[in-house]
Formats: sequence, C-alpha cells, structure tokens
Amino acid sequence: MTASESTASSPVAPVSDADSLNASCRWPLLVLFISAAGWAVLASFFQLIASIKFHSPDFLADSPWTTYGRVHDAAGSALLYGFGIQAGLGIALRICTGTATLPAARQWIVTFGATLWNLGVLVGIVGILGGDNTGYENLQLPHYAAMLLFVGYLLAGVTIVFTLHGRRQPCLSSPQWFVLAAMFWFAWIFTTATWLLLLSTVRGVEQSVIDWWYSGNLTVVWLGLVGLGTGLYFLEESRDAAGTRDYRPLFVFWTLILFGSWTGIPSGAPVPVWMPTLSMIATLALAVPLLTIAVTVYGGQPGLRGNSNSRAGSRFIQFALAAWVAATALKVISALPEAASRIDFTWFMTAQAELNTYGFYAMMMFGGIYWIVPQVTGMEWPLRKAVGVHFWLAAAGVLLIVLPLAIGGVAQGMKLNHASIPFIDVTAATLPYLRVSTMGDVLIFIGHLLFLSNLLAVTVRVVRAWGMPRYRSVMMEPSAGEVEP
Amino acid sequence: MKYGALVFLSAFLALAASWGGLILAPQIQVGRGQQETNAVNSAELYPQARPGLARQGLSVYRANGCADCHTQQVRQTGSQCDVVLVDAGTNAEALAEALMKANVGISKASAAGLAVGLPKPILRRVPANLAKSTVSAIQSVGAKGKVEIVALGPDIARSWGPRRNVAADYLFDDPVLLGSQRIGPDLANVGLRLPDPTWHLRHLYEPRSEVKGSLMPPYRFLFERRKTGPHPSSEALQLSGKLAPPAGWEIVPRPEALALVAYLRSLRSDTPLFEAPMSSSAPAQTNAPAR
Amino acid sequence: MNSDPVQDILTAGDSREPQSRSIAVPIWLIVLMVLLLYWGAVYFDQNGGWFSAKVYSPYRSLQEVESFQFRAGAGDVFELGRMVYNKPTCVACHQASGQGNPGQFPPLAASEWVNEPEPGRMIRLVLNGLQGPITVKGQSFNNSMVAWNMLSDQEIAAVITYVRQNKEWGNNAPAVTPAQVKSVREKIVKAHPAPFNPDELMKISPAE
Repeated sequence: MTASESTASSPVAPVSDADSLNASCRWPLLVLFISAAGWAVLASFFQLIASIKFHSPDFLADSPWTTYGRVHDAAGSALLYGFGIQAGLGIALRICTGTATLPAARQWIVTFGATLWNLGVLVGIVGILGGDNTGYENLQLPHYAAMLLFVGYLLAGVTIVFTLHGRRQPCLSSPQWFVLAAMFWFAWIFTTATWLLLLSTVRGVEQSVIDWWYSGNLTVVWLGLVGLGTGLYFLEESRDAAGTRDYRPLFVFWTLILFGSWTGIPSGAPVPVWMPTLSMIATLALAVPLLTIAVTVYGGQPGLRGNSNSRAGSRFIQFALAAWVAATALKVISALPEAASRIDFTWFMTAQAELNTYGFYAMMMFGGIYWIVPQVTGMEWPLRKAVGVHFWLAAAGVLLIVLPLAIGGVAQGMKLNHASIPFIDVTAATLPYLRVSTMGDVLIFIGHLLFLSNLLAVTVRVVRAWGMPRYRSVMMEPSAGEVEP
Repeated sequence: MKYGALVFLSAFLALAASWGGLILAPQIQVGRGQQETNAVNSAELYPQARPGLARQGLSVYRANGCADCHTQQVRQTGSQCDVVLVDAGTNAEALAEALMKANVGISKASAAGLAVGLPKPILRRVPANLAKSTVSAIQSVGAKGKVEIVALGPDIARSWGPRRNVAADYLFDDPVLLGSQRIGPDLANVGLRLPDPTWHLRHLYEPRSEVKGSLMPPYRFLFERRKTGPHPSSEALQLSGKLAPPAGWEIVPRPEALALVAYLRSLRSDTPLFEAPMSSSAPAQTNAPAR
Repeated sequence: MNSDPVQDILTAGDSREPQSRSIAVPIWLIVLMVLLLYWGAVYFDQNGGWFSAKVYSPYRSLQEVESFQFRAGAGDVFELGRMVYNKPTCVACHQASGQGNPGQFPPLAASEWVNEPEPGRMIRLVLNGLQGPITVKGQSFNNSMVAWNMLSDQEIAAVITYVRQNKEWGNNAPAVTPAQVKSVREKIVKAHPAPFNPDELMKISPAE
C-alpha cells in the first residue's frame, strides 16, 4: 500500500474489519443513490413544468410530449419509482447488511438489479411522455417498463433479504423487521397490480379498486415501513441505553401493516358501500401507529445525538418523522365522513400525499443517504455547506407546497359543495395557492441539484481514492526501473 | 421479534387478508362476477358497450392524462321523494279527504283547486315510505299519483348527473379512469350536458374560447393546420379573431380529436338502476352516444 | 484485529447481555385501539350495507334501497305499461298515437276490441298473437301479430292497462291485473299455443 496516496480524510484500503464491511456495500449503494438522485432531479424538473402550466396554460402546450397530463404523470412516476424505491432499496441494503460483509457476487447482483430498475424507469418515463401512460394513479409506467422493474427489484430485493442470513446475531433489530417486511410487501403488491391491471386486465370498476389498494399499500404501508424503519435505525444508533428492549416499534409494525393495508378506497367511490366503509375504519385506526410513533420519538427518548456537522442528515430525519406524524394525522382526519365530503377531489388530497411522499419519505431518504454515505465510503461530504442549504431549501419547499395546497383545498372543497358557485370561480380561487406552491417546486428542484452534485463529488473522490493506488501499483512495476521505498 | 420467518409470516398474513378483502371479494362482486344488469322498469340490458370510435376516444383520453384533472364519478348525499298528482279522478272531495288523512297540507276548501294544473307535485322532499302511503291513499279514491325520486347532493345540484355513479356504469370500459382531482368539472354525464361536437372541438383547440378563465391547456396537437383546398373542408373549425388561421389555411381535427369528442359525447349515466334509483318518468336510456 | 468496540456501536439495540430495561406499549394506546375497532364495528353494522353488492352510499342497507323501488306494484302501472309499449314492442306497429297504420296495423285508439269490459280476448291476442282477417272500427286488416308471451304477467297486465285506460286515445276500459293475465295464460298455454284467429276469438266469451 502506498501511504503517500492516502488523503487526510480517506483511508484508501480496508485496514480493519469494520472498514471492510463498510466498504463491502459501497459500490452498490453509490450506484443506487446516484441513480436515485438523478431521477429526483428529473422528477422535480417535470413537476416544475407541470406547475408552471397552471399559471400559463400555453407553456409548452404545442407538443403532445409536454402536455400537462403526461408531464405530471412522468414527474410522479420518476419521483416514486426512480428516486423513492431505489433510495429505499439502498438504505434497506445498508440496514440489512448491518454487521455482515456483502460478498462480491451479491454486490454485482444488486448493482445489476439497480441497472435494470433504472432501465425500466427510463423506458417507462419515455413511454409515458410518448402516450403509453396507463391512466392508473401511482402505476403510470407502461407494462413493458413494469416488467423490467419487477426483475430488477427481484434481484435487489432477494439479495437484501439473503444478507440477513449472514448476520451474526440471531436477533433482528426493529429496523430490520420493517425493511424485511417491506421487501416482501412490494413484490406482492406490485405483482398483483401489474398482473391484474396491465397484463390481464380485470373488468370494470374493479380496476379502480385494485389501483386504490395498490396506492394505499404503497404510500401508507411500504413508504411507512421503509421510512419508519430508517428513522428507527437512526434513533437506535444514537440511543444511550444499549440494553433496552423497546416493544413499541413492534406494535407500530403490527398495526401499520394490519390497518394500512386496508386503506385506500375513497368515500363516495362508485363501489358498494362496504368497501369505502372498511377503508375508512382502517384509516381511522392508523391513529394507533401514529400515536405510538409520536410517543416513541417525542416521549422522552434522547434525540439524535451529535450536531449536524458530524451527523449530516439528522435534521432531515427529524423533519421526516414529524412530517409522517403530520401526514398520517391529516389522513386520519380526512377519513372522517364530515371531512371527506368537504375535501374529496380537492388540492387537499394532493397536499396530504405530497407531505407523505416528499415531506416524510423523500426527506427521510435524503437524511439516510447523507448519513450512510460517509459511513460506507469513509469520506465526508465534499460540499459541506450544501447539505445544510439543501435541508433548508427542501424544508421550505415542502412547506410552501403543502400548506397553501391544504388550505386552498379546503376552501375549494367548501365552494364545490355550494352548487350556486360556478365551477370556474372555484378554480380561479385556487390560483393564488398554486402560485405559492410553484415557488416550493422551484426550491425543491434546486435542492435536488445540490444533492446530486454532492453525491457526484463524493463518488469522484471515492473512485479516485480507490483507483489511484491500483493505477500506480500497475504503473510502478519493479521491472520498470523504479526503486522500491 | 427474533426470527425472520416470523416477520415474513406476519407480513404474509396481513397482506393476504387485505388481498382477500379488497381484491378478491370485489372481483367477485363488481369485476368478473358482475353481469350486465336490467334497467329499472325495462328489460333493456345495461350498460351497452361504447361504439368503436368512442372506445378509441377513451384511449386518447387516457394517453393525454385527462384523468389527472377530471373525475368521472358523480356522488350523492341522499335520496328523497316527491309525490306528483297526475289525475284527480272524479271525486275531488274524497281525494282531499284522503290527502288530509295522509297529512298532506290540503284544506277542504282547496279541494276544487286540486284538479287544476295537473300533473303537479303535492308533496315535496319526503321519505320513501310516506310517499308510498300517500300514493296508495290517492289511488284508493280512483285518482292517479306517482312518486318521483329526488337525488340530493352538490354534484347533482351542479347538473353533473341525475344520480350517483355505480359499478355497472363502468363495466365495459378499459381502462376505467375515475379520476381523483376536480381541477376541471366532472365528466360522467358530459354527453348529456354538452352534446354539441363543435363545442368540444373548439374547446379542445383553445379552451378559453369557450370557457373564459379556464386553466385547461390547449390541445392543438390534436388538430392539423393545412392549406385550404378548392373548397373549405366541412370539418374545419370555425375560429375567429386571434385564433383563426391565416387566409388560405384551415384547422382540421385529426382522427384522435374526433375519437376523443365521440368518447366525450358518449359519457352518460342516466339510466335508473336498482342500486341507484332515480325518477323513472324519463324512459330508460341506453349508453349510446347522443346524436 | 479486534473490532468488538466498533461492532458494539454498530449493533446498539441488539444486546448480548441480559436485558436491563424494557419499554412496553402504553396501555392507553391499546385501549384506544380496542375502542376504535369497536366503534368501527358498530359503524359498519349501521352504514356498511353488510357486504351487499347493491347497496351504495347514501343508502345504508338493502332495505333502504328496496324502499326506493317504485315498481308497478306501487301504483305506477300506467307508466310501466307505457314503457313496455314503447320498448319498442307495440309502438313499432301500432304507433305512439295508437292509430296504427291504415291497411296494415289496426288502431288501438277508441277500438271496440280494446274497450270490451272484460279483457279476456285482449289478453289472449297479446299472449299468442293474431293471424287472419280482423275488422276494427269498420276497417278490415289482414296481417299477423307477433305473440308476446315472453313478457311477464306484470308487464302484459301493465301494457294492456295502459292501452285500455289511455284517455288521450279515447279508451276508457277497466284495468287488467296480473292475476287475470296469469289465469288466461294457464288456460291457453296447452290448449291453444298457436296464434288466434279473430273468428275464433269472437266465439270465446271475453269473460273467460
């Protein structure tokens, strides 16, 4: 080893057991995270275009590739599938690797799976913009893309599950249950939805029922499992008492999967009334995991240790946990019949979904990535200040999107309930709120650019630190005439 | 919880339960298990599948993401009845007595006025049982009455439909695009509300030409701008002012635009059904496009 | 290389030592969950339609949906009859005005065949159809009428009532009940399955 190559902040080769296990999942994680960041940038770019169209409907309206419907669908799919699930897979890999070493073969499988996933999302986004969007919410990617996604997920997910086999303790920690269940969960819901909606389509309004079931399971259960699992992982890492057995995450796990899987069917839907009623009861029962998390996180446990300098990402995680509590509270409230009749089909539902998907899950992913990458690469973030700036941009962006849309949505719903108010007036009244939310979209887009830059900078450093000694050792063969030190 | 197998099993059971309850059971009820149903008071089967051009139009609707801004589901918050007197019969006094016994606000003095201006409603917004008993009372004295069902709700008050939408309305659609946002108005019965194809074509080309202040983006790519031949095409849009093409050119809808308009004109769900009773004074309608 | 200290940090939360403390789920949370589920069960019982495929909100039970069905039995016989007439079953030939077509289809308006006090002949010809020359209002017709025995007793009774009581057409004959249609149908289903000849009909007393 050429000691002269090591920089002050990066060991260039594994020197200890801990370093070797950290480094073992380095490459797949970097691939997953950079791809996720790239899709996040693209998703927020599309979302910005879609948002601008509300203020200037003629903006980019001349080509079918940039019409509002397709751009909006592409933005949602890129955020959920391109960024969300990939980042989740990466963090799940880290949580499950834990103390085990990831063999090289498995690193390759995960990387290959990630490549297939990215290919699937790329093909899908192009398909959506070209007019092949399926029309089903949260499942807009066409069937050919969905099949690529499925194979990629299978490769990555099964590998992640198998890394748990290599663990040295028989006990699974609570984040590991969450993540293990999530790996299985997505496989089943995605298969069901793809098969019954895209490949062997069912008849009639059952299509909508399946779409609602899939959306509910994806946004409430899967994002909840992976996001809360990540949050608990960091809470546990920073807890002072090492010998504590906490049963509350177990309770959250059970109630989340039991109740969350029945949510999704909106009230007033054109289906027999027992379905929305069951969904309503399940959504109200989500108050139980909500309160449990609130008690666990805020009820006298030590918060995340360390200041933001050494623990990049902790602010994101705190924000994300608070956002989950808020988003789930909004969801519970919106299930009450008196509330539902006022906010159905309004911007309020978008605000709640945005708070859950972005305010909770995306922020949690950012926090996790900012925390994990220094651990597995041994390097600090090159653009140190950008992490803080990203947080403030993202937090402000989320608030600028969620708050106006929530308020505007309630106002819109109350106006819609009065038939004497012409519909065009109802729509006109939402415009000021939309203007504010567009500003939020701008901030989020800039934040994503900072995030991607940081990741690319770190990767360049890691590649250089990994590659240089090998390059030099190849170049400095004794037979070339150099004197060995 | 120590064992991975236990985690897997609990997740499996929870997901299997929700799969059975929300995928399998509805599939039996409103998916494969559902057949066409009879319209109320008629042997007609409902629904009828959309004709070919309208079905292609559904594909255009899906491909352009129309469901992102428009819903296709009318909701209803309640149902009540009106009792309408159709024929006063030969004995107005007996009728007045029967009505008074049924608690309709009639005085003996106004008995003579009962036969005037028929058919007219004599009871409004009452529960179904009261309506039924009032009509029986009317018929027992040889007069004729009927019950009209009044659907309540803001969607219905906005003339978005005469009744709520039910599963039968979507049986033959693929894909079923119910929508979840009302950035634009509900379209479940737009074929009844706006049957004019020219309106739709102009609205698609430039929404603000038909609806001032609309946020809907223009869909000009569904139209073609070409040189006018020796005679202007019969399909050319009549546009004026800034929208009109330069002299010698005309705007003609592409097949996608025509298909989409055919689909929109086929959107109607105003057939009385068992699960969605509505006033049966109108003869049963089919799902065919309004001509 | 001894990496135990590092591993201890990384495995915080998993312990190889005896548990020193455990945090349980607060009991009030469990109570809340039970109460929520109980409330949910009661709500479902009242508003859930008990898994019926035909109950949609705002209706809350099958009985409520049934109460809004105003079928023929509830007094709308005339309207049902009008609907059956216009399905199109009768209207195609006898026209919406009941005038028929001169030389082809006899009129129903102010027709003596329609206005007989007893409906036996009319029920028969609706059930089994008619074949052969017939004189209506002084005009003669020689066409064939389709049999309508595939309609239910209720529908036939309704359409005959509609025709017989249609004041616009000048008819004013007593209504017909489904029971009457049923009894005639039973009489002729085996005895006379073929379309009737008007001469035959004249020989049968209408009261049968």
